[in-house]
Amino acid sequence: MILTGHAIQEAVDRGEIAISPFESACLGPNSYDFHLGTKCRTYDSLVLDSGRPNPSTVQEVPPEGIVLDPKRIYLWDTLEVIGSSRYVPIIRARSSTARLGLFVHVTADMIDIGSINRLTLQLHAVVPVRVYPRMRVGQVTFWVCSGEIVPYTGKYRDTESPAGSLSYRDFGVSD
Amino acid sequence: MILTGPAIAAAVAKGDILIEPFNPIDLNPNSYNYHLFPELYKASASSHQGDIPCLAIADTGLLLEPDCLYLGCTDEIFHSTRYAMTLVGRSSVGRLGLFVNISADLGHMGSCNRWTLEIKVVQPVIVYPHQCIGQVAFWQTTGLSDPYAGRYQHDERPYPSKDARLLSLPREADA
Repeated sequence: MILTGHAIQEAVDRGEIAISPFESACLGPNSYDFHLGTKCRTYDSLVLDSGRPNPSTVQEVPPEGIVLDPKRIYLWDTLEVIGSSRYVPIIRARSSTARLGLFVHVTADMIDIGSINRLTLQLHAVVPVRVYPRMRVGQVTFWVCSGEIVPYTGKYRDTESPAGSLSYRDFGVSD
Repeated sequence: MILTGPAIAAAVAKGDILIEPFNPIDLNPNSYNYHLFPELYKASASSHQGDIPCLAIADTGLLLEPDCLYLGCTDEIFHSTRYAMTLVGRSSVGRLGLFVNISADLGHMGSCNRWTLEIKVVQPVIVYPHQCIGQVAFWQTTGLSDPYAGRYQHDERPYPSKDARLLSLPREADA
């Protein structure tokens, strides 16, 4: 079951969903619109290695935005801290974003219960697109789960968004 | 409703979900991790009709190139006649710009196979055999069911499209 906008509002009021800052105007019939933050991380090298650390650089994006290059992946934080101790958040682009050929994640749409943080969006543009900090870019939905809840304790728990991939840790490689 | 990690483990113990091999360490708060089988088919605009080479992923890794489509599969066999499944990428590989499916994320009840992955990268990415690359989530259903009996039922390796028309990549001379 997916929560309606009213149910999201009630869960926020009860403290079972974290969305901060929260504005009722961003509630949809069954989702909440989130915004790009102001920080964007790109990898320093074109070739990436999933088994090793990939050096990267964070920039504060100016109000005039940046044009995304289709040949690059951009990690961008959300303005909002988002998460839930009770529901499974799943993110997707707003249709207006998708109609520009802009992906907001790269097949990683599901957030673990108990992971409460600014999201790290994975922006990929099919054609060059200019994007702006604080733009309304995507939606988060909340799904009811079945079974005992064991909250997320994974490797991104204490990272600052946008966080680069920690895939290399799966190979026993340390920082 | 989506199953939590403990609910997935209970369903495996009851036989309502088959994950082979199953390792409790791969349970997440609301999904189960899968790993990359060490063979990939590679298709590109210069592939000749029906001629899609199958590459082995060496222990030293395989460099995936943008502008190509790779068909891989999971190490694990997934099967359930009770729950529907969805396949997502791991955030650690999404953050590297690696797609694990091309908007085909639903696993039907009754299918029993290594799940074929449609892999595409934004920047060149090196991948390794058996690395943890994504997650499967399990969903309760409502209504009578007719389990899947389709043409990909017992795939044990990555399997190119069985739709002959879809397999007809343009020849270089035709492109």
